[in-house]
Amino acid sequence: MGSKRALVALLTPPMLWLLVAYLGALAAIFATAFFTTDPFTNEVVRTFTTENFEALLSPTYLRIIGRTLFIAVTVTVLCIVIAVPFAYFMAQVAPRRLRHLLVAGVLVPLWASYLIKAYAWRTMVQPGGVLESTFGTTPGYGFAAVILTLTYLWLPYMILPVYAGFERLPTSHLEASADLGAKGIYTFRRVILPALLPSIAAGTVFTFSLSLGDYIAVQIVGGTLQVLGTTVLQNITLDLPFAAALGTTSVVIMVCYLIAVGRTGALDNL
Amino acid sequence: MRSGARTRVIFWVFALAVLTFIYVPLGVVAINSFNSDRTFGWPPPGLTTRWWSAALKAPGPRDALRTSVEAGLGATAIALVLGSLLSLALVRYRFFGRNAISLLVILPIALPGIVTGIALQSVIQNVLNPVFGINAGLFTIIVGHATFCIVVIFNNVTARLRRMGGSLESASADLGARPFTTFRLVTFPLLRTAVIAGALLAFALSFDEIVVTTFTAGPGTPTLPIWIFNNLFRPTQAPVVNVVAVILVAVSILPVWLAQRLSGAEAAESRL
Repeated sequence: MGSKRALVALLTPPMLWLLVAYLGALAAIFATAFFTTDPFTNEVVRTFTTENFEALLSPTYLRIIGRTLFIAVTVTVLCIVIAVPFAYFMAQVAPRRLRHLLVAGVLVPLWASYLIKAYAWRTMVQPGGVLESTFGTTPGYGFAAVILTLTYLWLPYMILPVYAGFERLPTSHLEASADLGAKGIYTFRRVILPALLPSIAAGTVFTFSLSLGDYIAVQIVGGTLQVLGTTVLQNITLDLPFAAALGTTSVVIMVCYLIAVGRTGALDNL
Repeated sequence: MRSGARTRVIFWVFALAVLTFIYVPLGVVAINSFNSDRTFGWPPPGLTTRWWSAALKAPGPRDALRTSVEAGLGATAIALVLGSLLSLALVRYRFFGRNAISLLVILPIALPGIVTGIALQSVIQNVLNPVFGINAGLFTIIVGHATFCIVVIFNNVTARLRRMGGSLESASADLGARPFTTFRLVTFPLLRTAVIAGALLAFALSFDEIVVTTFTAGPGTPTLPIWIFNNLFRPTQAPVVNVVAVILVAVSILPVWLAQRLSGAEAAESRL
């Protein structure tokens, strides 16, 4: 294969871009989290302080962080509960010729505009909207609508890896388990689930981190609900260092989660 | 696992319920774009094409559409070059830091978009504007989009390079072709469909992006998603928003469908 010079030529342009336009900007914003603002001009003052992170430990912000985590976990669990049986249906129950169609059926909402999907749920839950006129009741804008919408938004990100996991699962294992007398539930618990765990973990990386950072869908269907993303947004103009600290917090939570998931070997599937 | 007839029925019912859950909200938006009721009472009291003709005449969405297309093309062009180069380097060479780089490529879509957004915004305010006189606008939108579009191209090209193996290139080199000739006559023709598929998907990703764009687009250059978001909470604009929403979904799906046809089923999963 090629020489070292060719490698340098290949790597230099993309690395320059990623380091300058991306990592540089990220590093700067993480550094900003340790700065402060002038209370009169709202300008960033470059003196080292940890007061932004100390402020995060106040009950108000701990509650917001807790709420955001709760939403992310709930959405992730809901996505697993819906995606696993559905992916099983796609891989094992549905006739073979339908499979392409089903995969396409999941890919369309994966790529269909994120904003429009969130907006679609606004029209679903709004007073006098589809839910109210069909079921007689609607959760309205707020916590429940946010969970519903985020579950809807990230569901394809869970279905596809789990489906790929089912595809890799040899049918012979399932048959062997059945031949040895295992009932459906038992086979699911002892054969399917362990083999599927890395795929599910890969899916949770998306559902968890996307829920953690979301602020657009929350604004659209959440009413006045406050989560990490919306508080970042509110602080940007007046207190950028504090907004940076909030953003850093979500990145730190995500990195911790990635490391935990990495131990299951799930990231090899990404 | 041999599932009984009853279990199968339960699975079918469940799957149909999930598909309904997935498609009903999108269908409602499409139907609402014809809803004659201004506040979108459900079920629609009547159907009209008024909003469609109004939306197609409105200047706001049209300008936003142009910005979106320009941003998508610019970002795709940059990502195309950078993503392909990176993919060639990472698949065809073994070197120190290789794993770190492959992680770095996915960071822009893995980290919360709002963090990337405020990072780029403060670069615009503190460096680009005072030092280079560049304001938030089309250029900064393109830079932001290109950064997270690289991964889509990278994934598509990498998958193709892995499947190709290196034997054809080795054969070409053995026959005396220089590296550039090999690339022109062997590697690139084999990569072409993966590159085009990647480009289509990168365009789709850019076209639909709102989180990072919120922070990199100036007030004068909204993209189509930004325009929709700005008008989402204005009751008078609601009918037009519905029409633009349908167009946005259609335009973001079309490239994906084309990419699938070109490069196989897994192309569209390169977003994962």
